[in-house]
Amino acid sequence: MKLDRPRALLCTVLAAGLAAAACGTAAPSTGSGGALVIGMTASDIPGTDTVMAFTQGFEGERFVNFQLYDGLTRYDLKQATKTPGIVPGLATSWKSSGDGRTWTFQLRQGVTFSDGTSFDADSVIFAYDRLLNKKSPYYYPEAAGAARLWSGQIESYRKIDAGTVEITTKRPSGHLPTDLTFLTIPSPTAVKKLGNQRFAQHPEGTGPFRFESLKPGQQLTMVANEKYWGGAPKVGKLALRPIPDAGARTAALRSGQVNWIEYPSPDDVTPLKSSGFQLFGNNYDHLWYCTFDQAKKPWGDVRVRRAANYAIDREAIARDLLKGTADPVNQHAPASTDQHDPANDAYAYDPAKARELLAQAGVPEGFSTTLAVPTGGSGNLIPVPIATALQAQLAKVGIKVQIQKVEWSTLLADLNSGKPVQGADVQCASTVTFQAEALVRAYWAKGSPVYKGHWYSARVDSLSEEAERTLDPAKRVALFRQAERIVTDEAPYLFVVSDRNPRVLSAGVKGLIQPKSWFVDLTTVSVGK
Amino acid sequence: MRRFLVHRLLLAVPTLVGVSLVVFLTTKLVPGDPVASLLGPLAPPDARRELIERFGFDRPLPIQFGRWSWNVAQGELGTSIQQQRPVLEIVRTAFGNTAILALAGAVLAFAGGLLIGATGAFTTRRLPRGLASGLSFLAMSVPQYSIALGLVALFAVRYRVLPAGGMHDPVGGGGAGDLLRHLVMPAVAVSLIPMGVIGRMLRASLVDVMSGDQVEAMRARGLGRAAIARHALHNALPSLLTITGLQLAYLIGGVVFVETIFSWPGLGQALYNAIASRDLPLIQGGVLVIAIAFVLINIVVDGVHALIDPRVRR
Repeated sequence: MKLDRPRALLCTVLAAGLAAAACGTAAPSTGSGGALVIGMTASDIPGTDTVMAFTQGFEGERFVNFQLYDGLTRYDLKQATKTPGIVPGLATSWKSSGDGRTWTFQLRQGVTFSDGTSFDADSVIFAYDRLLNKKSPYYYPEAAGAARLWSGQIESYRKIDAGTVEITTKRPSGHLPTDLTFLTIPSPTAVKKLGNQRFAQHPEGTGPFRFESLKPGQQLTMVANEKYWGGAPKVGKLALRPIPDAGARTAALRSGQVNWIEYPSPDDVTPLKSSGFQLFGNNYDHLWYCTFDQAKKPWGDVRVRRAANYAIDREAIARDLLKGTADPVNQHAPASTDQHDPANDAYAYDPAKARELLAQAGVPEGFSTTLAVPTGGSGNLIPVPIATALQAQLAKVGIKVQIQKVEWSTLLADLNSGKPVQGADVQCASTVTFQAEALVRAYWAKGSPVYKGHWYSARVDSLSEEAERTLDPAKRVALFRQAERIVTDEAPYLFVVSDRNPRVLSAGVKGLIQPKSWFVDLTTVSVGK
Repeated sequence: MRRFLVHRLLLAVPTLVGVSLVVFLTTKLVPGDPVASLLGPLAPPDARRELIERFGFDRPLPIQFGRWSWNVAQGELGTSIQQQRPVLEIVRTAFGNTAILALAGAVLAFAGGLLIGATGAFTTRRLPRGLASGLSFLAMSVPQYSIALGLVALFAVRYRVLPAGGMHDPVGGGGAGDLLRHLVMPAVAVSLIPMGVIGRMLRASLVDVMSGDQVEAMRARGLGRAAIARHALHNALPSLLTITGLQLAYLIGGVVFVETIFSWPGLGQALYNAIASRDLPLIQGGVLVIAIAFVLINIVVDGVHALIDPRVRR
């Protein structure tokens, strides 16, 4: 083998030519015929098999599970003014018996899955067997695990007739209709034909969109379900692309490669708006907060925890750092939830009061503490800059914070096993509160294994437990509000901000209704020039 | 030659076992929850326990490793926890995508490095020499991340001549031309560091060769500059090949930044996601494949080296 100068030159010219040829082709188009191309924050395509979409968190539920499939119920996402309630999905109506454990669901008639199978009570039983019946040949342990948060309280279910199913819960449960939204129904024919694992490669559901193709790691493409029982989507195609880097998402939008991006970097929001892109946002059930470890001095003293809550300027963080993509929160229930009681907003920015409380607690000079914060992760916004802002604000009243950056997966593992994250005194992260009431008990119930900062309130536990058992939504809200009053008073958390779910759309994308929710209805959206 | 290859292939086996063991132990030591990616935060503990038992993560480490190795020896890499697809299938696709990017990058790096090195060594004029030296220095020292973002800002956002990321257009994509357009920027971004390394290395070894006695002798016999340069290049070729091979191997394992910025669905990105979600089977399989690629490329380079230089074969 011999490589001389002329040949080396040839190589160079070839390489240059390659680049030139590539540059020469037409600029990328976003496609015609109404294709919605979404740049997600997810690092990969979410699972396409019903509940498995949760592998990419609620973003997976939002764009995959709720687009390909329906549950018996669904969130009311066609309005932007009130907290989305639960409305009929594949069930048209339901009622509960006197003891609150047995529920009867009337199923929607004339619905077919995308493979032509018609939907009836047997489809529901088949779907639930996959998640709950270990004796079923189609029991799928991985999916069952992913669904447990929503399915854990179901004791039994049975078909009454082709159009009716009955579900019995272990205890009375007011949030069963909400939970069923997530337990979506796949085509039984397709699952039987392909088997549990391979179904994900050709998923068939009843949702507003039908599966078209999947390029692993690159793109999931769906087409409109023209026969969707809730009204066919206005766009012909829906393409989802995972673009985890915020800068890359903005670039993809600006270059016209996608026409919708989730969570832009807050710094990009104003420049994007001034170049004609549309910013959407709405308050929803999201809380960015920190948990104090009450076993560590002096956080065990309620006055110190209140002092910290008075010492931080949430308005400044929401306005200056997050550029209006989040709202300040002064309590555990975000403003978009029904459980939010304005009377509960106790903590305004008041550093003088914070110093006074610290003096009363015997630490007038302040103290040093450690704070763990994730470096990224679903729903955590820009965690490290927020923690740095908190550090600066707390320093002004004498609380000297040392920040420990922790990878999200490590943080979750500690949190789930009930340990203070990396031994830190304060630990920050984001969560949802009442959108999924099944989660609330994880934070407040005595036996829950989740890390709670060594805080327990018997009253909050019993009030939330009673709320769970209560079927009347208004009564449930009232009970939760009572619990929230105690939470505000005892201040086990540092309340920071609530996200507004910012997303940026190209000028041609019309008709988006941004609800007060993580989730979104894509059927009203159209794409023009 | 055959003995040489067999010897090298046999040596590769303990290397791969060692790499697997280290990766296996590291992933076990790092805190994190391998089933959290499937269950999400706050899943009930019984669901977590069930899956941990199902995947065998509750078994003693030697048994876990033994079982994994046994499966690998039979060509079975297991199932990705998060994606619920065979690891082999994921790794194969991702490796193919990374190989496209790494090869394109290596070709650019080789060509550019050759140009830079040869210019630096053979030209006596100051401007091209300085330019070559400056370019190689710049290529090596500017972080890939900023180069990549700069390219995107210029060619995707400002002039809109190239796509900002991905391998294919979202709608109506596919085909070689489409792939090529998506390949240009990431390939340039990954090529720069190896280009600088190759350029500097080549220049140094060419300068070394050029100061040798044999070049004096060639000059004395009246050979022209072009002929001398050709001979000098031949002498510098073994080290050039070694370094290019090494750089290609590094590219395959090290393009994760560029893959992230350009949303290139390669092995770097797949591994990064796997590590973030503690998807142990996928981490293990991905690293194993990279290690195999690394070893194979080195064997190929050594083989070519042996072809060129008979002294190596002995």
